[in-house]
Amino acid sequence: MSAGTNLVVPVVLWGKHPPTHCISCIFLSADQRTLVSGCYDGQICIWHVDPSTFKMIPRCLMVGHTAPILCLANGSIVMKNNYIVSSSENGEMCLWDLVDGKCREVVKLPYVHTNVQSYKMKSSEDVKLFCNGYYAEIFVMDPFSLEIIFSLSSREKSDWISALYVLQPAKREEDVVLGLTVQGTVKVWTIEASNDHISENEPIFENESKIIRCLNAISLICCSQYQRTVLIVCSKYWQIYDAGDFSLLCSVAPPFRERWFGGEFLSVDRVLVWTDEGKGYLYFLPANCIPDNKEFHKKSNKDDAPFLYCTLSDAQIEKQPLACPPAMRYYHSTALGKILLRGDSEGAVKAWIVPEFPIEEIVSMKSRKDFKPERIQPFISTSVSKTWKAISPPPVGILDQLDVNDQPSIKLTASIYLPQQSRLVVGREDGSIIIIPATQTVMLQLLHGSHQQYEDWPPHQVLLGHVGRVNCLLYPNHTHSRYDKIHLLSGGVDFAVCLWDLYAGSLLHRFCVHAGEITQLLVPPNNTSARVQRCICSVASDHSVTLVSLTERKCVVLASRHLFPVVTIKWRPLDDFMIVGCSDGTVYVWQMETGHLDRVLHGIAAEEVLYACDENANNSSSGESGLANPAVHFFRGLRHRNINAIRHATQRGIHQLQQLHHSKNQDESEHQRTRAFPLMIQGLRTNPKDPESHILCFDIEALIVQLLSEEYSAMSPGTLEAHGLINSTEYEKVAALTKSASPDAHKKIAEFFGRVKDKAGDMERILKEKDKHGIISKVKEGAENVQTKIQAKAESIGIKPMFADKKGKYNI
Amino acid sequence: MQNNKVADSENEEAACLQKEFEWILTEEVHAVLNQLHIILVECVKRFPLPLYGNDSANNVKQEKYVLTSPPDQLRTVISVNGDSIAHADIQFRVQRAHQQAIVYRTYIQNENPWKLNQLLDAGNHVQEALLHIDNIEKRCSFCSSEEVLHILGKILGCLQRGRTCLIVPHKKTVDEIIKSGNMKCLFPTLPDDLAITFYIQSHKLILAVYQSSTSRGLTTKCDVYQAECTIPWLNEVLVLFTVALQLCQQLKDKICVFTQYKDFTVESKPRRRSSVSVRMADKY
Repeated sequence: MSAGTNLVVPVVLWGKHPPTHCISCIFLSADQRTLVSGCYDGQICIWHVDPSTFKMIPRCLMVGHTAPILCLANGSIVMKNNYIVSSSENGEMCLWDLVDGKCREVVKLPYVHTNVQSYKMKSSEDVKLFCNGYYAEIFVMDPFSLEIIFSLSSREKSDWISALYVLQPAKREEDVVLGLTVQGTVKVWTIEASNDHISENEPIFENESKIIRCLNAISLICCSQYQRTVLIVCSKYWQIYDAGDFSLLCSVAPPFRERWFGGEFLSVDRVLVWTDEGKGYLYFLPANCIPDNKEFHKKSNKDDAPFLYCTLSDAQIEKQPLACPPAMRYYHSTALGKILLRGDSEGAVKAWIVPEFPIEEIVSMKSRKDFKPERIQPFISTSVSKTWKAISPPPVGILDQLDVNDQPSIKLTASIYLPQQSRLVVGREDGSIIIIPATQTVMLQLLHGSHQQYEDWPPHQVLLGHVGRVNCLLYPNHTHSRYDKIHLLSGGVDFAVCLWDLYAGSLLHRFCVHAGEITQLLVPPNNTSARVQRCICSVASDHSVTLVSLTERKCVVLASRHLFPVVTIKWRPLDDFMIVGCSDGTVYVWQMETGHLDRVLHGIAAEEVLYACDENANNSSSGESGLANPAVHFFRGLRHRNINAIRHATQRGIHQLQQLHHSKNQDESEHQRTRAFPLMIQGLRTNPKDPESHILCFDIEALIVQLLSEEYSAMSPGTLEAHGLINSTEYEKVAALTKSASPDAHKKIAEFFGRVKDKAGDMERILKEKDKHGIISKVKEGAENVQTKIQAKAESIGIKPMFADKKGKYNI
Repeated sequence: MQNNKVADSENEEAACLQKEFEWILTEEVHAVLNQLHIILVECVKRFPLPLYGNDSANNVKQEKYVLTSPPDQLRTVISVNGDSIAHADIQFRVQRAHQQAIVYRTYIQNENPWKLNQLLDAGNHVQEALLHIDNIEKRCSFCSSEEVLHILGKILGCLQRGRTCLIVPHKKTVDEIIKSGNMKCLFPTLPDDLAITFYIQSHKLILAVYQSSTSRGLTTKCDVYQAECTIPWLNEVLVLFTVALQLCQQLKDKICVFTQYKDFTVESKPRRRSSVSVRMADKY
């Protein structure tokens, strides 16, 4: 990737509809000023929190992960280092700076974590991450380098760890890790304070292990006050154990139709547990579970069971069914005391203050026969969509001028920006495609002025042909010049691919070859056969892939019968193969000329074939990058601060996620080219259900170049010189260089130029006489535009305005 | 008159579509999940591990396998117990300098078994999928496609990961293999330039011996000798994985057809039906 040194200012036009945010995990920063929520689509939202009132508003959306976020953990305990670490379901880990939203470090591991506890060891200066997940060890990682420092392994009954807890025993110099395996064996590791012997390759083995039959635990927490009791939460029960010998002290089943989902000690004698319905339950523990009670560790007593004295719920929660269990976390806030946070599938965040009852009150509650636990409502409840509604005027969208006042706006579902024409093509939910001058529509949304009073401005073009949502758009000429300039393609929910004449605004052809909605349109690479070169490739939700010929107006290859959704398409042009990768890892190799399925590959063979295509593409410069993991490119982009690469990767990442995409397989030269445009517009969508938002990327360098060149072209050489933009000595220097050694030759050249000039002058005069309609002046205008562009190009590569001067002289 | 007829048939179609959707959510989803449960229980039973109340694993016998490679370079007899190689007798011939062939022999002993983590991982992933299904069954009915898609996504994820860890083993460098804990199971230990690894690749257990040699000063080359054997129960596991994955994906595809109309829920009002029917009518 080309490392861009140019300054690009991105501006997001969110539109009236809030992005979907199905929260998978939630986190509150140490200073309680920032709430972080990770979602199933892989984005992370940062909320600004007022620590005294707990009012919060979403501040920024961090895009980077390509899979659901599974864990969020503190990256540092140093107050000024506001870092968090996120880990996703496909093994990506990122370190984010919460202040500016930048990604500081990123790795992709073969290990997927399901839980990360950040903990400061005795021997280290800052926190380390203790991770467990789909593997049989516990990894201890450095949050800044995201490298595994050492691991904790099991000598006996090696199994996945389902829950872990790290603590520092009182009066001891070491750290103790409690781990519980999936099959219910609790293990204890001790990490000595002097960790000179710790290395990546020498795992630390457990000191003790005991089978306690707590299958598939969700969390394990040690009571911090006496470190004598342990709370273990499984979906079907929560239990208290004696930390000394891990004997069971009590056990509680969940309420009807709910499953336990997590818990925490509130104090020595109280626990808070929550369920997958997103409700919190407060229990008072029986005497045999309280370490400073004389009854401690005795057999559980029927008359003294854990006592439910309060619930944290919400009337609203019960009405509204959720798509998935909400994420919950308990915090101790300095201003508000104990709070329980909850983030749900609707992007809503709720918080409860956990009430503190004096012990006498609980005892009296306990004695009452008809006692019903009090239900506490959340003290704060907000959501992304609520915030959106509260903004007045609503966040602007890129086509807001087309909205009719009292009707809900039509959602924008696909977009493509044509920088050469400076036009934005937008597909909408109702099947219409709007083509509009980009700068004008942007001006309308961002700038105040008289232009806002014009009716029907900017003029737009409407293409009508789809029934229902437009899923993807493709302008193949953008990717390669072998395609006709007028061709624009769109794929819709109506199973059709439409071929449009961009300039005439007419429907040229409708391809109805798929049996599912079109999700993606791609351009085959340049070195395929002549026939395939005139095709574009389309992918549909029925897992079929076709090559449709734009010249023959028919389907050339129909590659269907894939059992799983198509996730990758790669090419082996020299072998005439199109290689289709499916979500289950199967790879189908199709012959493009004959349309035959050459072979189906699984496992390692499949991976190798896909990998070989990448190698192939790298060797030939014109090769298609295909749809390689966009996360990798994204991360690379972040590291090199290359906005182009980030933009490119983000877009692909987002699209890959939802499998609704049009191709943007630009290779490197394409990247170079896009940089020259002062404005680029990029669609942004984090979930397939969402309408598109748009990112405007203003390239300041390109803008300056364009403005300067426009100005120069308007000046005469005299003014240029007067402004000191050119000077004659410089000119002479260059002229001297171009002078031929022999004066004779020089004279000849001069004569030749003179003749050319005379001829050109004659021609111009003749044309002017003929031209009654001012065509010439238009042509001239056009020529001047070209000149401007050339000039801009020239200046960007370091040629001074001398060039303009020469041109100017000829024009006189 | 004509218009009325069209409208009627559209309404009828929309009503049918609604019925079909309700049927999928209330009947089909549960039926398929039930079927999936049966398949996965069968799958988990095949594992010689104490998974998902799999008691048979406790009295599982050791299985003996012989791994050979065609030119008699490598010969190994192993006994697998659960997810580890409890005993192995490994014999192989390595070409040394001066055309000399040296035979090495090493053992894995009962007290220090070689862990086949791929088996544990695959088994645990199936178990995870089963737990996801168990969590639903207590729920009486679904009211939205999102709910179902969410659960299906989780189950698919588990199955995908489980299957992948069997058929696509992690790539490791020779250095990583030498440093791995499993290499310490071998007794007597091998010379520094030799590394041994056991791994699963689909239904086969593969033993690979790597010999790294430095020739002409700087260039290091690596020779690999492989021996393999088929583990019959793994073949069955993979078939069950594949069937379960397909079943799950098919159900997901069915539900996805309806998600185009996001206003579709079990209780959705007929208010929007006409617009739905227009789109459907155009499609067929």
